[in-house]
Formats: sequence, structure tokens, C-alpha cells
Amino acid sequence: MAIRDKALQSEAFNQLKHVYDNRDSYLKTCREKGRKLIATMGCDVPDEILIAAGYLPVRVYGDIENDLKDADQYLEYSFDPVIRSQFQRIVDGTYHELCERIVISNSTDALIRIYFYLREIHNIEPNKKVPPVYFIDWLFTRTRMHQVRNEGTVERFIEEVEGWIGRELQPEEIIKASEICNNNRRALREFSKLRKGQFSKINGSEALVVIGSALFMDKEEHTKLVKQVIEDADKWDVVEGPKIFMTGSVQENTTLYDLIEEVGAVIVSEDHDWGDRHIDRDVDTKMDPVKAIVDRYMLRMFSSKKAFVSQRVESLVKAVEESEAEGVLFYFRIYEDSPSWDYPEQKAALRTIGKEEVCFEKQGLSIQEDSGDKDRMIKFVNDLKGGVNNEGKSG
Amino acid sequence: MKGKADNESGMRSKKTMEAASLASKYQKQWFKELHQRVDSGEPFAYLNADVPMEIFRAMDIPFVVNQWWAAICSAKQMSKRYFGFLKEAEYRDDLCSYCATAFAGSFDPNQEEGPWGGLPKPSMAITRLTCDSQGKIFELFSKNYGADFYPMENTVPLEAPDKWWEKAADRWEELYSEERLDAAVEELKRLIAFLELKTGKMFDENKLIHVMNLINEQEMYYKKVRDIIAEQSPAPAVITDTINAVMQAQWQRGTEWAVDHAKFFYDEIKGRVESGYKAVPNEKIRLMWIGRGLWFNLGFYQYFEEKYGAAFVWSMYLAMGADAYIRNHVEKDPLRALASRFIGMEDFLHMPPWNAQWFISEAKHNQIDGVVYLVPENCMQAVEGSYFITKMLEDEGIPVLQLKADPVDSRKWNQETMTEAVSDFIEKRIQK
Repeated sequence: MAIRDKALQSEAFNQLKHVYDNRDSYLKTCREKGRKLIATMGCDVPDEILIAAGYLPVRVYGDIENDLKDADQYLEYSFDPVIRSQFQRIVDGTYHELCERIVISNSTDALIRIYFYLREIHNIEPNKKVPPVYFIDWLFTRTRMHQVRNEGTVERFIEEVEGWIGRELQPEEIIKASEICNNNRRALREFSKLRKGQFSKINGSEALVVIGSALFMDKEEHTKLVKQVIEDADKWDVVEGPKIFMTGSVQENTTLYDLIEEVGAVIVSEDHDWGDRHIDRDVDTKMDPVKAIVDRYMLRMFSSKKAFVSQRVESLVKAVEESEAEGVLFYFRIYEDSPSWDYPEQKAALRTIGKEEVCFEKQGLSIQEDSGDKDRMIKFVNDLKGGVNNEGKSG
Repeated sequence: MKGKADNESGMRSKKTMEAASLASKYQKQWFKELHQRVDSGEPFAYLNADVPMEIFRAMDIPFVVNQWWAAICSAKQMSKRYFGFLKEAEYRDDLCSYCATAFAGSFDPNQEEGPWGGLPKPSMAITRLTCDSQGKIFELFSKNYGADFYPMENTVPLEAPDKWWEKAADRWEELYSEERLDAAVEELKRLIAFLELKTGKMFDENKLIHVMNLINEQEMYYKKVRDIIAEQSPAPAVITDTINAVMQAQWQRGTEWAVDHAKFFYDEIKGRVESGYKAVPNEKIRLMWIGRGLWFNLGFYQYFEEKYGAAFVWSMYLAMGADAYIRNHVEKDPLRALASRFIGMEDFLHMPPWNAQWFISEAKHNQIDGVVYLVPENCMQAVEGSYFITKMLEDEGIPVLQLKADPVDSRKWNQETMTEAVSDFIEKRIQK
């Protein structure tokens, strides 16, 4: 199925897809137009503060085509393929050309190492073209004590950014930037509703394009286009096929979703950070802006990396039920191991609500076409269809 | 014996030091008494290694340390059995072997068949969130035993002070930002409140001061031992002597027994020097072992002593005791002194440049000719900048061999390949 012709006929969707498919050239254009870019790594760097300071926050991503020779030199085997690929693009100088700085959040422990490694490269290999790095050390345990510490962390980040721009950031500026981000998330949530329920209008690959492009674009420009896509999608056909919820590793491109949807399923939601988790929860603009930003990043949908098993079980069951998915696909990349500890209990909980599941572990950047995993995927989808394969035949 | 294991998994080391034998005897007796205390209804805590055990010691709450127990299970060749249970329960059996052994063992229907009668049933399990998996594993472990799960947060250093080992004992405030230390103290207070409620016991700061001072005394002996081994060539002891003697007592730190044992250990080493004892009589090469101890196969090191006169004289276990634990003048603010110890362990060991600088300093001090560096394949917590450590050591003229292995899981160990790798390293890069 992948991205449908109807979607490609939408001018707004096409514009988003163009950015999604040509991220670097879009960013180069922004830079040429005078925008100052900050690369962000990890899903917990508050865009709101960077936007308030006039920056365009852009998410670091990997390139599956890239030779990883530089990354392999620095990183141990335990780094997953996506982070390895992202690191390659940092140490090969790509982001030095594009961005003023890199801000990293501790959204997973591998990123803590990435921060230290980049800092060390600055120290012992100063000629390497790597932008300066800053680290945001969130605490994700949900207690008042940790919330208070996070407020200090955000205040220190604001002070740091003020140092970059040479002036104080006013609370109104942060509130205004928060509204811009909230509007974008709201529009994306409206859009994402079209994926769910009995008559899905959007498939998973299309959703990844629309949500993922938000990680690079000017938020206001993006919001306008998303609203237009919502209008356009009203005329799109209902997506047919078993509805699947995807949990686990981030998907920075549509390869995996294309493969699943080509065998006749549709991905209606996910809990990774290039999908529905990105748009969960707003910043409360009636609160003190620092406290509001902390609450948004600390209290949104549980992260597969940082949350405890019981939290992940509860969170997955809730998300699956809300999305009305019939089955759940677990997808874990090699060395991205911590969510594997959640799986057996999540599987048991899904069984109690009558949901089928399939699990792919130790994966590379995507499922290999010629691997047995693709056959397992096809069987899973066929089973959800009641034993009918893609050509409508039983078995 | 050409690197051949005397059992299917690895070589058992020959224990030659009385301090190590005494520690083994003591811990068996201590574990028996622990069983009795738990059987009589006392609360029992299961702690990850980076949890500040000093609080539990001061409150007289019996505890076992996760990584100590993993090492015991590994040394008793229990890994295969336990990870089999894990697989049956649909968990992956190839992850986090060092930290998940006890969780794997929690599925064993015959708990009493574990080492020394098995792990008593814990009433609480406490870990720090120093990696993404740790909290998940401890929560699952707690659930299996019906214990309370208590996580402690971890913070990341944004500063990189020079020569931490020169500041840790007296000038620890200079190692961390003020707010990071404040946060760690708050974390301790929160833990204390939890323990007081859970056990009904009061935390007495005076007892903590006593515990901290006992630890200072114990670690001072390790410092003296480290310095003797560093400066004596041939060395009076190698890591197969010191790892067991130090680690077993390290988990008992803060007790009178541990101080007495450390003194005994020091006296034994000093006695060896005085009597002209050489651990490797034909010592020609001095090696440093970076990484976790090869618990299931401590005998691995001995092959190289015999064949090449290559003595593994340095491991982090003795050296961390020497440099990382001591906090003088704790009376002023014992919780802050303790905070400065427990948050530093991750920084000292796993964060470049803190670790690389220390390894270089220790390599020079210990007259090291080469480094064998164990880099675990599936443990992000043990990932510590191997490129930077290797580069910085080699820039100082010290060759480094990286071994990819698992320190606990004997199933992943290939004795022949590893022996060849180290032999090759010695022959081509050290002997030349």
C-alpha cells in the first residue's frame, strides 16, 4: 500500500513529503535564508525554548545509505544502528555545515555516552568538524522531588540559550513559542485521529511523513500544511486491512511501515518518537513557562526506554485500545535492548484484552526483504485477516 | 595446560592468599546468618551495586548486592540454569547478564538449590537508574519475590574535573556542581524516609558517621596494598589474589570485620614483600585488566603468567578501593560525603575523560606494559569510551588489546580464541 496516489495528489502532503524526503536540502535552504539551526538529539529537548530564542530546532537523523566507518571507530558494538548512523552524520561533519550547536537529551542512556564522546572529540581531536554540544539531564521518575530538579535543569538550559543569543529570554517569548508548538501538536493530533477508528483515512506511512516532517520544519509553516492535509484527506479512500499498533524502536523513515502495509495491514498508531508519542501532551501556557515545559516533557506518554515495565504495560494497553488496533507489532533494533524487558508482560496483558501480537527483535534498520521475518510478518497479517492472504485466498 | 578450562566453562583460579580464603569463609557464614535473620522475619533488601549501601549498614538492614550475587552464581556455574528459566518465561536470555542473574534466578522453583541455600526472599529491591534496563529488571525482580521496588535517580556530570582521584578524599565538592550534590543528598533523604517507614527503624546520622569512618579505615589499607603492588616488581600479588580478597570484603564495607580483614590483607601482602615472595616469579611483563572481572574464569589469567611471565597486576577492584571510596572529615556533613561517593562511581569508571585519565595515571604508577580491556557486547552501562581510553593509553605508549566478552555469562566465552588473542597481543605488541 505504502503512500497512496490520493495522498500524493494533495499539494500540502506533497510539500511535507518533499521536506521529509529531502531533509538536508531543506535545511540548507533554511540556512541560506538566514535561519539559525540547532540540531537536537533525543526526543526531550524542549523545542519551545529554542524557538523562543529564534532558532529552528531540527532533529538529528541517520542515513541508512551512509558508510559508518567514522562511527565504528568511536562507538562500541552496543550502540543501536540508528544512533550509530546519527553519530556518523555528526562526526563526518554534516551537522557542522548545517547547525550552530547540538543539544542532546538523556532520552536513552546511549545518548549520555554520545554526549561524552562528542565532548571528548572536542577535547582531544579539536580539528574534527563537530558542533559544540550541550546536554539536558532530565529525571523521568515521577515524584515532586524530581520535578523540582527538572525545573532547575530547564532554567539552566534557558540560561545557556540566553548566553548563545546574548540576551535574556522573556517569559512571554517562551509562552508564545509554546503556543506555536501546541498548535502544531494539536493539528497533528487532529490529523492522527484520521488514522484511528473504523474508517481510517490515513495509513501509517503517510502519517510518518506528516508527523516526521514536523521535526525539521518551521512549526507554523508545518501547522498550516497539516491543516490542509486534514481537509484534503476527507476525500481520500478508507484504508482497508487489519489495524496494527506499532511499539518499540523509532522509525526515521517509512521503510518498515511500507513493508507492513504492502502486505495488507495498516499501522494506526505507535508509541515511538517519530510518530504519535511526539504529539502527546501540550505545554500549559497558563502556568509558569518553566514548570509547564517540565510537565510536558516529564509527564507525557511513557518512553519505551525510560519507563518501568508496569508503566509500559499500562501505557501500551491504553494506547492500543484507544487506537482500536487489532494487533500489536513489537519491533526492537539490535542493542536497543531495554524495551525487550517489557515485552513478556506486555504480551500477557495484550492477551487479556484479546489482542494478537508479533515480535521482531535484534533488528537492523528495517526488516530484510529476504529474511524469514518478512514471512512471519505476512503470516501475522494474514492471521489478523482471519487466515486470508493478500490475494484474498485462505491459508 | 594451554589455556584449557578444567570444567566446561572456565578455569577456576587457585586461591593462594589467606585473606581471600578468610573472606570466602566469612561470607558463607555471614550468608547463613542472613538466612537466619530473614527467616526470623527481618526485612531484607536487595541492592544494585551502585546503591549507597552505607545507609542500610547504618540502619542495620540486612542486604545483598546484586552484582556480588551474580558473581557468586557465576562462580558456582549457575548462569546456564538461571538463564534457562529466563528463556522459559519468554525473556531474552542474552541481555544484561551481570545485572539480570538474580532476576533469572527468581524463576527457579527450587530456590534452595541456589548457591549457599539460595537467595533469601527479599522484602525490598533498590536500584539506581544508571541505565535504561536497570529499573525494569529490578521492578520485575521485585514482582517475582513480592518485594517493594524502590528506584533512585541518577544524574549526569556536565563538568570534567582533572585528576578526580586527587580530590575525592578531601576536596570532593570540587568534583561536582553544587546543585548535583544537593540533588544527590535529597535522593538520600528520600531513601532514608522510605526505609524508616518500611522497616520501622530510625536512621541515626551518628551511626552513618561511624560506618563512613570504618570504610575510610578499610579503604586506606587497600590504598597501601595498591601502592605496594604498584611499586614492587615482581609484584607480591596479582589480580587473582586481590579480586577475591577485596571484592568479598568490599560488599561488607562499613563493618568492623571488613576493617580487620583489610588490615589482615595488607599485613599478608606486606609479609609477602618482606619474605621476598613473588606472585609470578618470572615476572617480565606487567598487565592491566580494564573492565569487570571474569568471574566464571578467574584462572584465565594464570596461563599467561606461566607461559610469558605476564602478571596481571592491576584491576579496578583494588584500585577503586584505593582511590574512590575514602571521604575524610565526614562528621561535617555525612550525607553529603556519602552523596559525593555514590554519584561519583559512575563518573569515575564509565565516563571519559574521568576514567581514561585515571587509567593512564594508574598504568604509569603500576609500571604497566600492556592493557587487556574487556568490552562487554550488550551492556550500555559498561560502555565507557573504549576508543578514547585506548587512544589515550596508546598515545602514552601503552599498548591496549580490546576483548569482546561477557564477564558473567560463560556461554559466550571461547577459551581458545581469547587465549590466542591475549597471547598474540603479548607476543606482537609487548614482547616485540
